[in-house]
Amino acid sequence: MILLILACFVWPLIYPVPSPIAGDSAPNIPPLTAGHLFGTDQTGNDVFSRILYGGRVSLEVGFGAAILGLVVGGALGAMAGYFGGLLEATVMRVLEIFLAFPSLVLAIVVASYLGPSEMHVIWAISFFTVPYFARLARANTLQVREQTYIRAAQLMGVRDSRTLVRHVAPNILPPLMTFGLLGVGFSIIIEAALSFLGLGVPPPHPSWGNMISQGQQNLTTQPVLVIIPSAFLFAAVLAVNLTGDALRYRWSAQ
Amino acid sequence: MLTRIMNSAIAQAVVRRLGQVVVVMLGVTFMTFALMNLLPGGAAIALAGPNATQERINQIRLELHLNEPFLVRYWHWLSRAATGNLGNSLSSGQPVSHALASRIPVTVELVILALAVALLLCVPIAILGASRPNGIVDRFATYLSVAGLAMPNFVFGLVLILIFAVRLHWLPALGFVPLSHGIWRNLRTMILPVAALALPLFATFLRVLRADLIDQMYGQDYIVTARSKGLSRRRILTVHALRNSLFSLITLVGLNLGVLMGGTVLIEEIFGVPGVGQAMITAISLQDVTTAEAVVVIIALAVVVTSLLTDLTYAFLDPRVRYGSDSR
Repeated sequence: MILLILACFVWPLIYPVPSPIAGDSAPNIPPLTAGHLFGTDQTGNDVFSRILYGGRVSLEVGFGAAILGLVVGGALGAMAGYFGGLLEATVMRVLEIFLAFPSLVLAIVVASYLGPSEMHVIWAISFFTVPYFARLARANTLQVREQTYIRAAQLMGVRDSRTLVRHVAPNILPPLMTFGLLGVGFSIIIEAALSFLGLGVPPPHPSWGNMISQGQQNLTTQPVLVIIPSAFLFAAVLAVNLTGDALRYRWSAQ
Repeated sequence: MLTRIMNSAIAQAVVRRLGQVVVVMLGVTFMTFALMNLLPGGAAIALAGPNATQERINQIRLELHLNEPFLVRYWHWLSRAATGNLGNSLSSGQPVSHALASRIPVTVELVILALAVALLLCVPIAILGASRPNGIVDRFATYLSVAGLAMPNFVFGLVLILIFAVRLHWLPALGFVPLSHGIWRNLRTMILPVAALALPLFATFLRVLRADLIDQMYGQDYIVTARSKGLSRRRILTVHALRNSLFSLITLVGLNLGVLMGGTVLIEEIFGVPGVGQAMITAISLQDVTTAEAVVVIIALAVVVTSLLTDLTYAFLDPRVRYGSDSR
């Protein structure tokens, strides 16, 4: 399923598609005509190629925000859980403040502060993926910390940084990874929402969110322009979520 | 009796929790203020318009105290906000609190209705599903919740508009009739937004409640006891297991309030519901900093307070917590 979605990146390389922003075809061609699988939009862009390029944005943002959250949040959480004390209290309090914001509201505020661009959207979404990962990493580290092999490493005089990287990290990574895939799905939804509001990828460039937003203006006459990107968005999130569920099931079965 | 309650663990827990809430709220207001006020260019240029002279910009900066240090401005804003004065809107010049006062009840109605719909639907379906794990109802419920979780609520909202307003003409797509114009007319405009908002909640609740019910039914000692007393499966499920599963449901409601509040922002924007979320989007697009920060703080405050309330409800309902024993 994931492979099917990664086609977004490979497909344009091996098979020439019309430019997603050129606007060089006749506008409003209905879907399933020769040359334009999904037809064209109001300004004469090929919808199929816009879907592919828009999918790139969704996947880049989804994985980007989740990976950033996993690395930064995981490191913060692991350190907080491992060292405890003042560091733990400070980190967790600050993250709690971020968690008090509804995710979308925080993302809207940060994205409007930074201005519309794909990279900024990733930063904005990371503002809440980081705290979630940190909380999970800390909880898992607290369990790992009490294991005998950590005590043994400490008694042998291994430095804390080395213990964290070599012994703690491998043990807390699997639960973080499975949570990470759910984070990807969530980030894709938020990206679409931001683009929908005009705070994501700036309009001439396609993203599923701003395609839906543009299509919404002609909802009564041309519902296809909303339905196609919506269906792709739904399918992408569904695929990522199902993979996450399967991973989690396997992980808990062990 | 009263002193015993006052000295009990729960009283201490409440005090500690309140302390945390205050710290979190200070952090929330500070961060909102910082994000909104460190904008490059900033309010003065936005307010003065594109053709303003440098003198005009300087004058506005003076009026808004923008030349003072950031922390001083934060302190002024916070102490005024504590008395309910959220400043004047930069776009309309009206006091922000007036503009928002009429919007808050609308958002509250939307959120409560969505929550009620999600809860009323998920409990019976989860019970039916759990009574026959992997039966038809259960499988259908699982598909439904997986699909519901993957469907962004604004997309679902558009789909609803497409079906019920554009194709069938059953319900209005846009517009809002206030409650004062009659309950039925108000509800008619609320059906679609509420449905769109309730779907992801319903999916989350259904998924967790089903898993929890099945967990209770097949692993707990008290279920075995109830079975050996000769109670029917249905009675055990709806009375004994559900009672325990409701606790996780309450926690879940608390955890999802943030998602719900975030969702209203988009739903209000799509359906033209004049709530606080719509005010926030408008304010951000107009660079109306005072209104935007007020809305963000109000939403965050609502989330923090309601999650405090769910914690307290939880503590009150669970006798182990209520009597302060550490048996958990």
